[in-house]
Amino acid sequence: MNCLDYRRTLAAGEPETADMKAHRLQCAACAALFREHAEFERELREGLAVEIPSGFEQRLKTAVVHNRRRFLAAAAATAAAAGIGAYAWLGRDGPLAMACIGFVMKEEAKSIMMGAMPHAEAETALATTLPLARIERIGRVKHIGPCPFNGATAYHVVLSVPQGKVTLLVMPETRVAGEQAGHDGMYAIVVALRNGSVGVIGTDKAVVNSVAGALRA
Amino acid sequence: MRFEDLARQYAADLYRYAFWLARDRSQAEDIVQEALLRGWRAFPRLREQGAAKRWLFSIVRNEYLRAAEAGSRQPESLEGLDPPDERSPELGLEMREALAALPASYAEPLALQVLGGFSCAEIAALLGTTEGATTTRLTRARQALKRLVASPGTRERKGER
Repeated sequence: MNCLDYRRTLAAGEPETADMKAHRLQCAACAALFREHAEFERELREGLAVEIPSGFEQRLKTAVVHNRRRFLAAAAATAAAAGIGAYAWLGRDGPLAMACIGFVMKEEAKSIMMGAMPHAEAETALATTLPLARIERIGRVKHIGPCPFNGATAYHVVLSVPQGKVTLLVMPETRVAGEQAGHDGMYAIVVALRNGSVGVIGTDKAVVNSVAGALRA
Repeated sequence: MRFEDLARQYAADLYRYAFWLARDRSQAEDIVQEALLRGWRAFPRLREQGAAKRWLFSIVRNEYLRAAEAGSRQPESLEGLDPPDERSPELGLEMREALAALPASYAEPLALQVLGGFSCAEIAALLGTTEGATTTRLTRARQALKRLVASPGTRERKGER
């Protein structure tokens, strides 16, 4: 290693090798150059490190989650159209169960803000699908209200059970054989009822299973 | 490694890289969002997990080129070796301003090297050029920056005598 090689490598910003370091330690001129170079590189790093806009990571997460949901829905539709059947590559995630998860991730807060319905009215509305008394045997109802879902009116129930919180989407007009899905740390099971169906959504798979089991019984 | 962890780990550097390509904050954010979505779709096909960082940077680069083309805006040449506009030698610039005055052909390899931590060989592979050409470009970029920054005006502003 000579001064020319040393300076040429340093000038391109390449890291100092053991050979280069050995040369620098015995060459005062290259040692001085190295100090200047280190200061310049520090300024360069700071100059390139433009500030990250406030909320960037959250916007990124929201955008990716939103687009991912669109992508999964499109993929499921394509698979169905192609007659593939059970969406095996999606881990058997059912589209309605996925939509239930989507609702909780994106619409739940808005739905709660729209306001709850009176208890008596809820009793009447759910009487033929899933009687309110049956839900109240499982946990404490913290919110119940109508909401648009899957092209029809569903009833959004926030239920507090001893193990935590779960969301129910009671769908009087939708009948499915039963579905499940898991996505982004959330789990959903859609249970078939005599009239309609109910989606159970939560972050704990065991709790979702347990509530779905109780509703099935 | 999960894609989400990968994205979280490199999001800031990807944004900064996109910024130095697009020179626009809002466009940089859009580029990174779109690139990560494409990355998420393609992630199962990524064979070498060790090359994930380089792979993400290359997606950002492609996304920038695609966005520039779709916006019917000619991307600034990423390949040329034209000397930068060094302005008046009397006009000293701070580093950030000096970087902004560099053409993309110089700023891009610098960003890849300093922000991405890539070697000359890796940058050459990303830019589709040779290692020698990349080394030359990085050397010239630093020389140009030093000329832009180290003028008498800048030293006075920094309080140097």
